[in-house]
Amino acid sequence: MADSTNYTNYTNREMQAVSIARSVKNGQIAIVGTGLPLIGATLAKKCFAPDCILIVESGLMDCDPIEVPTSVGDCRFMAHCAVQWPNARYVGFQANEWQHGGDRMIAFIGGAQIDPYGNVNSTSIGDYHHPKSRFTGSGGANGICTFVNTIIMMQHEARRFIDKVDYVTSPGWIDGPGGREKVGLPGDRGPMMVVTDRGILKFDEKTKRMYLAGYYETSSVQDIVENTGFEIDVSRAEKIAPPEPEIIRIIREEIDPGQAFIKIPA
Amino acid sequence: MSKVYTLHDAVEKFVHDGDHIAFGGFTTNRKPYAAVYEILRQGRKDFIAEGGPAGGDWDMLIGAGRVKAFINCYTANSGFSNVSRRYKNAIEKGTILFEDYSQDALILMFAGAALGLPYVPVRLMLGSGLVDKWGISKEERQKIDKLPNEKFVIQDDPFNPGQKLVLLPTPKLDTAVIHVQKASPDGTCRIEGDEFHDVDIAIASKHCIVTCEELLGNEEIKRDPNLNKIPGFVVDAVVHAPHGAHPSQCYNYYDYDAQMLRDYDAASKTAEDFEKFITTWGYEPKTHEEYLNKLGAERLIKTRVVPGLGYVPRVKK
Repeated sequence: MADSTNYTNYTNREMQAVSIARSVKNGQIAIVGTGLPLIGATLAKKCFAPDCILIVESGLMDCDPIEVPTSVGDCRFMAHCAVQWPNARYVGFQANEWQHGGDRMIAFIGGAQIDPYGNVNSTSIGDYHHPKSRFTGSGGANGICTFVNTIIMMQHEARRFIDKVDYVTSPGWIDGPGGREKVGLPGDRGPMMVVTDRGILKFDEKTKRMYLAGYYETSSVQDIVENTGFEIDVSRAEKIAPPEPEIIRIIREEIDPGQAFIKIPA
Repeated sequence: MSKVYTLHDAVEKFVHDGDHIAFGGFTTNRKPYAAVYEILRQGRKDFIAEGGPAGGDWDMLIGAGRVKAFINCYTANSGFSNVSRRYKNAIEKGTILFEDYSQDALILMFAGAALGLPYVPVRLMLGSGLVDKWGISKEERQKIDKLPNEKFVIQDDPFNPGQKLVLLPTPKLDTAVIHVQKASPDGTCRIEGDEFHDVDIAIASKHCIVTCEELLGNEEIKRDPNLNKIPGFVVDAVVHAPHGAHPSQCYNYYDYDAQMLRDYDAASKTAEDFEKFITTWGYEPKTHEEYLNKLGAERLIKTRVVPGLGYVPRVKK
């Protein structure tokens, strides 16, 4: 029998949401999709960064949904937002972000594969024209990765963390320092962090290559090395503090009580 | 002048084989399903389909073999089918031509078309597979009149030398189909909630079909022009189709039919079950009204939003 008042039995997925929440700075504009990033950003607004502002790529600004939306076009965003823009106005707003410092905005994206420089694939596995597995495609992710600093959500598996992704849907640091400028992208923004179900990875300031910054207490350096398909620097890895029980209570009872995206452990 | 048509007559007159078509709405919100089912019934095919933020609307037409080329940025009934399954299957099996852009790119291509621009210069897609790979080759494009010969052209920015630009060709749309909350017989439209790219495709298309929840009088709808998004002369046909976006959402009117979206997810896993699904919900009902009767009053009432909230609380458990 599950103990509904036990908030210390947190799951890796909840830890992932908490890691997202901790990464949002107060006052930042956060571009959220649905699923974990929305849970994380909502948690940030409630607990860590009360002045952060949530926007979605369908054109809704300053959203504060009461019930967890299932997609960025969901009426649950529309019902509780400040401004409704047509989609094109949002796209223009995002592209104008180059006029502002890179720290003003943060966005969350996900994908099926990632390489050491944070280039992400959410298009297809195998040959592009005859894929083994085909996904949705870019959605808003490519535009986000062009103009805005990102935090990338990944399931931490060796087949997903690979040296070369099958298709770059969302460019990261390309191939290292100067890589973005070389292909025509703004060089002063890019992926900041990868949040997985095992830990947190960041990008070295000099080499722009991914390194292990921290691991959850349910994981270990060894576990992460085994589940990363490329060589990863672990010299800076620290154990990440578990979430406060109160934070877990808020996720389960206030943010996602319908367990739309985060299941409570049995 | 009244532009009121039956759904049958509007589709018969303004949707043709081989047309370049765009739909309004966003994945599971305000998708013009009543028109999609009518297009299925009338056997129209060989579409050059502008997916935009697509969901089950285009997935059904792809599954039924009606799409010749699919211009994609994202195709999912998010939260129900995280990748639309007939779309996925068609690309994996190689049965359709497809092209990928980013959503930002497609949205700006619609907006550019609405502004009358021949192309839009952007800084999107650089450094990605979206410029490295063409889904539809130049040779194939030359065989299809409705598609530009180039997916894009990369050029130096004449005003900022050294900066690369991606020039995106704007689509020359034959027909746009959108579902709105309110319209009047002269074609004036009111969209409530998120308007997405709907106004742009309406303006950019040669023909525009509007299906609506409520048909208001021409005078009544003009009492508050601030609420209206599309003037009548942009619209060719107005169809009164209550619940015409079912099973997707329609802000202030109804939420998505979660059970139907789950059923579609299950059915679209195989070609056989998909065929049964669209036979049951697309071919057997001869009209939108028969479709509604088949769904039944109780099911429709359950999707009605809480007034002032815009959705049904806890519709998805």
